[in-house]
Amino acid sequence: MVEQRGNSCGCKLGRRSVLGACLGMVPWLAHADETSDPAASPPQPGDRLVFLTGEKKGQVVRVDDLPLGGPQVQAYPQDPKSGVVRNGSRLNLVVLARFAPEDLSEETRARSAHGVVAYSAVCTHQGCPVNMWSNELHVLFCSCHGSMYDPKNGAQVVGGPAPRPLPSLPLTANSDIPVVAAGFTARVGPERY
Amino acid sequence: MTKFIAPVSLAALLLAGTAAAAYAASDYTPVTDARLANPEPQNWLMTRGNYKGWSYSPLDQINTSNVKNLVPVWTFSTGVDSGHESPPIVNNGMMFVSTPYNQVIALNAATGELIWRYKRPIPEGFSALHNTNRGVALYGDKVYFAALDAVLVALDAKTGKPAWETKVADWHTGYYMTMAPLVEKGKVLVGVSGGEFGVRGSVQAFDAENGKLVWQTFSIPAPGEPGSNTWEKPDTWKRGGGSTWMTGNYDPSTNTVYWGTGNGSPWFGDQRPGDNLYTASTLALDGDTGKIKGYFQYHQNESWDWDAMNAPMLVDFQKNGATVHGLLSPQRNGYLYWLERKADGGIGFMNAMAYVKQNVFKSIDPETGRPVVDMDHKPGTGKEASFCPSLWGGKDWPYEAYNPQTGMVYVPSNDNHCGHMKGTVQEYVPGQWWTGVAIPDIGFTVDKNAAFYGEIQAFDANSGKRAWRVLYPSSMMWGSLLTTAGNLVFGGGTNDREFRAYDARTGDQLWHFKTNSGIIAPPSTYAVDGVQYVAVQSGYGVDPAFQEGLLSNLLGWQKDIPQGGVIWVFALSH
Repeated sequence: MVEQRGNSCGCKLGRRSVLGACLGMVPWLAHADETSDPAASPPQPGDRLVFLTGEKKGQVVRVDDLPLGGPQVQAYPQDPKSGVVRNGSRLNLVVLARFAPEDLSEETRARSAHGVVAYSAVCTHQGCPVNMWSNELHVLFCSCHGSMYDPKNGAQVVGGPAPRPLPSLPLTANSDIPVVAAGFTARVGPERY
Repeated sequence: MTKFIAPVSLAALLLAGTAAAAYAASDYTPVTDARLANPEPQNWLMTRGNYKGWSYSPLDQINTSNVKNLVPVWTFSTGVDSGHESPPIVNNGMMFVSTPYNQVIALNAATGELIWRYKRPIPEGFSALHNTNRGVALYGDKVYFAALDAVLVALDAKTGKPAWETKVADWHTGYYMTMAPLVEKGKVLVGVSGGEFGVRGSVQAFDAENGKLVWQTFSIPAPGEPGSNTWEKPDTWKRGGGSTWMTGNYDPSTNTVYWGTGNGSPWFGDQRPGDNLYTASTLALDGDTGKIKGYFQYHQNESWDWDAMNAPMLVDFQKNGATVHGLLSPQRNGYLYWLERKADGGIGFMNAMAYVKQNVFKSIDPETGRPVVDMDHKPGTGKEASFCPSLWGGKDWPYEAYNPQTGMVYVPSNDNHCGHMKGTVQEYVPGQWWTGVAIPDIGFTVDKNAAFYGEIQAFDANSGKRAWRVLYPSSMMWGSLLTTAGNLVFGGGTNDREFRAYDARTGDQLWHFKTNSGIIAPPSTYAVDGVQYVAVQSGYGVDPAFQEGLLSNLLGWQKDIPQGGVIWVFALSH
């Protein structure tokens, strides 16, 4: 079941990790103030995405950079005004992949830009980066315990121990550049954060 | 009856320890060097029972004539899932259990009453490849815990309150910890995990009183240090692996620590030409200074993820009519090794014998123990190769056990499985998997016509002759073994949730009990007020669970093995 978060601050947990770990429940979430540390703030509407690795490391991801049909690339959001890359928190790590728009589910298509979809890269099982790809099943594959998520269908869990889908990061397009349209659609990361 | 308490004070209560302790503070017996060197039979003061790593107890109240009467006397839910891999540690009636998610629980060992519970928050952004812990260590009036996020914590044994904590390594760059610390002469020793994340392994010794670093010895030499010439390509040593993720054993008479090292990094040896000392090795370290006195490397230019993670057991055995001060070790690479503890601290090779089907070594040099590798079965960059056993080896970390009365070593092993993979050159990202092959591309196969997969094998420690074996046709074997003077071998490890007792001489199954989950933790045994107990955690997860998913696809095995840890304590019914 996906929690819906309407506001643009997203779902980044604040400094309540002590309670969360001990009691297994967090009755409220503290949102990081964007002005306090922009590098640690969650993705904001208008952010671009920059490559974490590869030949274009640090550069803005463009639609044509992404191979059609996968695999995904890892990226961090970037404030277009200041240029600050939001890599101050691992919870901001994102995966992007591109598909033919007609291959996406209706709900996923609504959050895509030119067939590009974006999700939190933080596995909802134990927090490992979902940066691997199953060539056999054409799905996102976590780098720890084999959780698999369908990128064409809201990153629903299709295998392995993950308890819930990866939160989506809705995109819009600024010409050929995918741009963040809204914050993550659900809480990022595993239960214990 | 519960009463709602405001969140802040409830959290403080949980962290500081409960006031409802039935166990009087004055009852705790400080743990000393003398006690660790010669532990009392009624206690289980360290994870493998003694410094020699035997996983053996001299207790014999529970024995072959009465073990059929063993019944559960109390249980306790740990409250967490994932793989529970630690034995209950017991000091004069007080039990300490560590669990996944950075938790330590203290209980009355006879009654199961909760005394205190400690939980260390896991930092935001930390990801856990192996969310588990393999046990606490005891010294003085403290309990030592190696937290997942690579911090060593010292807790007051009576209250569970933190006394000090010290950073061991940086989890942001892939280091973490799962092992039980080793205590020797007032120092707490830990290694590091992270062999899949481009780390450089080391063993560190901290002052047990104040947590200050006393020494650090790297498993990979820096340029100019002995062995550095075995890293022929510049800079490969910096992320060469050799993680030190399992607890060492110790010889007080020579003040020597034996510690195992892990796989080479990245996984494909052709990316780091050379023998790559000291990956896949046993190190002999001076207990006071950490200086490397000797070593033995089981295979060179490691390319199969065959860690030599477990320290060998210290066992004296007979060879050619003479007693050898020996080391005995069934290795992940599929061979059982007899080595010698030399007077100068060096380690000599005596013999090696395959205990599972292994197709990588064409031969082993009878003098040096160096294998000749069949290159058809050595994967490389752009070069796919298959090899048996698979990366999980003839056995993984679960402990073998040695019984001085039967003279046998009991090995939990796995056969009839193979792996295949091909390497790529992968870009390094701090804290991310960095082996040269992605997990979905790692091949794993089994012989579908095999009569068994998991097994227990009992070998005579002197002759190497196999005395008996127990086969598991429908399960792998991930259970550490415990053996006792009652002529028994206890173990779990199978996917059917069973905990079993066998006759140590014949392998006859004498007792079994189906628990809540799969048992992948070592059992322990202890006595309180003249009553012997056998204790084990049942809580499946981590690698066995992942592998079971693969086996479900390959062989149709049940993959829904329930998770959720429970501490089980058994005793004889009246």
